[in-house]
Amino acid sequence: MKIDQMTMEDIKSGLERKKFTAQELVAGVYKKIDEVEDKVGAYITLSQDLAIKQAKDIDSAMDRGENVGPLAGMPIAIKDNICTEGIKTTCASKMLHDFIPPYDATVVKKLKDAGAIIIGKTNMDEFAMGSSTENSAFKVTKNPWRLDRVPGGSSGGSAAAVAAGMAFMALGSDTGGSIRQPAAFCGVVGLKPTYGLVSRYGLVAFASSLDQIGPITKSVKDCALTLDVIQGKDPKDATTVDVRNTSSYLREIEKGIEGLKIAIPREFFPGSLDSQISNEIMESMFMLKGLGATIDEISLPITDEGLSAYYIISSAEASSNLGRFDGIKYGYRSENYADIEELILNSRTEGFGIETKRRIMLGTYTLTSGYYDAYYNRAQKVREKIKQQFKEIFSKYDLIISPTSPVLPFPIGEKIGNPLDMYLSDIYTISANLAGIPAISLPCGFCQEGLPIGLQIIGGPFSESKIFRAAYALEQELGLGNGVAVIKEAKK
Amino acid sequence: MKIDKEEVMYIAKLAKLKFSDEDAGELAIEFEGILKHFDSLKETEQDIKDIELEEESNMELREDVVEIFEDSEKLFSNVKDIDRGYVRIPKVID
Amino acid sequence: MNWETVIGIEIHAELKTKSKIFCSCPTDFGGDVNKQTCPICLGLPGSLPTLNKEVVNLAIKAGLALNCKINNVSKMDRKNYFYADLPKAYQISQYDHPICTGGYVDIEVEGEKKRIRINRIHIEEDPGKLIHLQEEPYTLVDYNRSGVPLIEIVTEADLRSPLEAVQYVRAIKSILEYENISDCRMEEGSLRCDGNISIRKLGDARLNTKVELKNINSFKELQKALEKEERRQQELYEFNEGFKIVQETRRWDSAKGRTISMRKKEDAHDYRYFAEPDMPLIVLEQQMIRNIEETLTELPFDKKARFIESYNLTEKEADILVGEKRLGEYFEQVIEFDLQPKLIANWILGDLMKLLKVQESNVDSIPIKVEDFAELLKIIDNGQISGKIAKDVMDEMFITGRSPAEIIEEKGLKQINQGDVLEKVIEQVLEGNIKSIDDYKSGKEQALTYLMGQVMKETKGQANPVMAKDMIINKIK
Repeated sequence: MKIDQMTMEDIKSGLERKKFTAQELVAGVYKKIDEVEDKVGAYITLSQDLAIKQAKDIDSAMDRGENVGPLAGMPIAIKDNICTEGIKTTCASKMLHDFIPPYDATVVKKLKDAGAIIIGKTNMDEFAMGSSTENSAFKVTKNPWRLDRVPGGSSGGSAAAVAAGMAFMALGSDTGGSIRQPAAFCGVVGLKPTYGLVSRYGLVAFASSLDQIGPITKSVKDCALTLDVIQGKDPKDATTVDVRNTSSYLREIEKGIEGLKIAIPREFFPGSLDSQISNEIMESMFMLKGLGATIDEISLPITDEGLSAYYIISSAEASSNLGRFDGIKYGYRSENYADIEELILNSRTEGFGIETKRRIMLGTYTLTSGYYDAYYNRAQKVREKIKQQFKEIFSKYDLIISPTSPVLPFPIGEKIGNPLDMYLSDIYTISANLAGIPAISLPCGFCQEGLPIGLQIIGGPFSESKIFRAAYALEQELGLGNGVAVIKEAKK
Repeated sequence: MKIDKEEVMYIAKLAKLKFSDEDAGELAIEFEGILKHFDSLKETEQDIKDIELEEESNMELREDVVEIFEDSEKLFSNVKDIDRGYVRIPKVID
Repeated sequence: MNWETVIGIEIHAELKTKSKIFCSCPTDFGGDVNKQTCPICLGLPGSLPTLNKEVVNLAIKAGLALNCKINNVSKMDRKNYFYADLPKAYQISQYDHPICTGGYVDIEVEGEKKRIRINRIHIEEDPGKLIHLQEEPYTLVDYNRSGVPLIEIVTEADLRSPLEAVQYVRAIKSILEYENISDCRMEEGSLRCDGNISIRKLGDARLNTKVELKNINSFKELQKALEKEERRQQELYEFNEGFKIVQETRRWDSAKGRTISMRKKEDAHDYRYFAEPDMPLIVLEQQMIRNIEETLTELPFDKKARFIESYNLTEKEADILVGEKRLGEYFEQVIEFDLQPKLIANWILGDLMKLLKVQESNVDSIPIKVEDFAELLKIIDNGQISGKIAKDVMDEMFITGRSPAEIIEEKGLKQINQGDVLEKVIEQVLEGNIKSIDDYKSGKEQALTYLMGQVMKETKGQANPVMAKDMIINKIK
């Protein structure tokens, strides 16, 4: 098996059995990067020197028989809105084009402590605002399955890197679907954990009450393995919760889904949904039934108002979170200014991209005293309603299944001029963020043009184990059990 | 909900962003579209309760213990203009 | 035309915690520039706040000391605005669910007792400090103060004169110091106050336009600024130009002695408050509040009343003793040694205070041990040494920290009470001062004083003055 086709599990066992060294692994990854990265464009920064040094240290430690962590020697990538000490962290924005954080995000620290090796920082939509990675100030990432298609967003670079074999795991962030949708578009697995399960300390905030960091991997087991490492209450993040989870997410993953009650919301399958997508989802549904789960159709009429509520809340929080970017303490500083007012005004106007500015404006507008009640306050109430609706459903069902995306990976440039159209592609993913509940996307098939289709499994709060069980069962049944997304040679 | 260019300009001032007349006009139209949808919901739903503060929280308060961030050089390594340890900016007039 | 002044006061007090409100950086005053900072108080991307327990404790304590309702559930909110000293472009504060609401404090103005209602107390973070350079077109920013914890105390519009306002701030300062909630040093900025003032015709129920005053750095300035603004408004109303009074913020310029309008783009102050998503709700258990209640010490207002009542002190005496917490404590500790309160008060308010001032010592560290002070007073009471000698002994005690017995023994300062010893000296003095005897006999009282002086000189001040005086008079007769 070639290195780029391996899963994290394969890597782990390979290292343990000394089939290869960490240094060889890292060299292999960079070789792959040399081969395909200029076509895919998944990375903003590569940290080769650091990675080689880390690999050397891990190999020495392993030779000495030392206890190295559960991810020792594992080459991984980190989305560029997660702070890595000493490594440029840009959020794909001109505003942070030269920002080098003086500290590691908590999840980065945990991964480093576990022995993982950071290959580089991946491309994204600027400040995580977008669904195609086309809003990056630096480059457009291409979908490895078809280079004229978007990889999804905002964690497009992370999903593409894993799909193309340029990393075995990549961290992404998900505010409205930004892990799941690119995972679906790139034919890989992506999990948005329960809000509060994974620390946000070090994640450059977009919408504080919606953001979560999660893993993107080739297989479901890899995803569970990573979650084991990155989850946990962090005293630096007051919104994290102590779940007292002492057992691994891998423990029950092969348990099967006999007796599991699954719900499918009929509103998620409107006539406008691409038929290839609905067909694949239906087929997977039958498979799950065959494996012993019960499937019921339910009503969950939240998509419309959920989407509006999502955009109001996320924009409002973003407008506040992005106020700190003023050219004074870090980041882009305009060259033209006559006084402090102009310094701030011009730095922000020149440093932010159009989508970011659009969201800041929308957010600012809905928070002003005249409109707070009509928009932000109402949106929070809608959110509360959605939370209650999910609570009710999960009192009767274990999981909900839906498509991840209403559309197939679209051509680069198709939607970027039409923000409203772009916002609609989040329709199935935003409700999990609003309710703070976990959701995974895994590949369930391909369309005629050879593009991946993703299936989403949503669970109640802190039900990741259950989600993994179902995802794993489906993955195995679909024969994607080897978890390998093979990148076909560069197709135009 | 009609949003006009003037309003967009006022918001831009609050947000410290500059827009051309044309862009401001476009933004006004976009906002209308996004918010119009939400407005229509206002009429239909009756059953949204006022959010009350629950008496439950997972807030853990931090002990009042000092910890020094050792490498203060690093903290300010991204500042474009430093003068004798201060962050220097064009004069702020009250 | 009778006018009524209506004033409300907002006080910001820095809380006496070791670390900042949302991070573990030290709160010490005067540290090296930007060395008391971290990613959180600098607002670096990705940083998150965590709430300091002691901040909540002290806020609750302040609320209890000011008779407020402590709200079981409160939350933090973001107040969004751009200013160079505010790293995140928002201040984490409390908007509609503050930690304390509805309290009061009693003050005394010219003998009259008055109750001032408190609307709310909330917690928030301080921004950094700006230094505007004189010669160069730059401003320098120091983030050491960014994140220092504050409580904001807001009154209802209950104050009716600048003097009342000053008394109110004094009362708050005293309480916060007493309960160790804040250092309350106006010069250092750990206590700041802003005033809101308007005027109306006496008898009117409606309030007229109020003006906010800022940049007040001492009690004197508070009174002056309010008086000046009071006059300004009154004049405008009297000339029917009341419309010129607009709701605005005016800066007190102490050099110019007037308030100046801060025409700062008032329209740009939509703070867009919303609940801080990075902080869960603050839910307080009753037990926690009770525990804090037990740490409250007697409040200055009550202590003063008690001193006057129990120890028969005058208003002025009580005022001074209560004014500094340690002084009052010292006083009561000495009382435990079974001495007359009046005697103790006299010696503390007289000689001890003088020594503290001259030696530039702090009331918090009186170098004379309580037992030693008590011992000295006992010795004076017993007549073992004269009052004048006692002053010298106290001086010595203050500087060396030794006990009175030691000092008196060593220097042989015991008062001479033995009649035979005194008689000898007196006879000697009288023999050498016949003229003075004659002067006294012819009615000159100061001759007696002179003779007393001579006796004291001979005995190195140790003669019992009362005995000596009696003896001299008897002998002369």
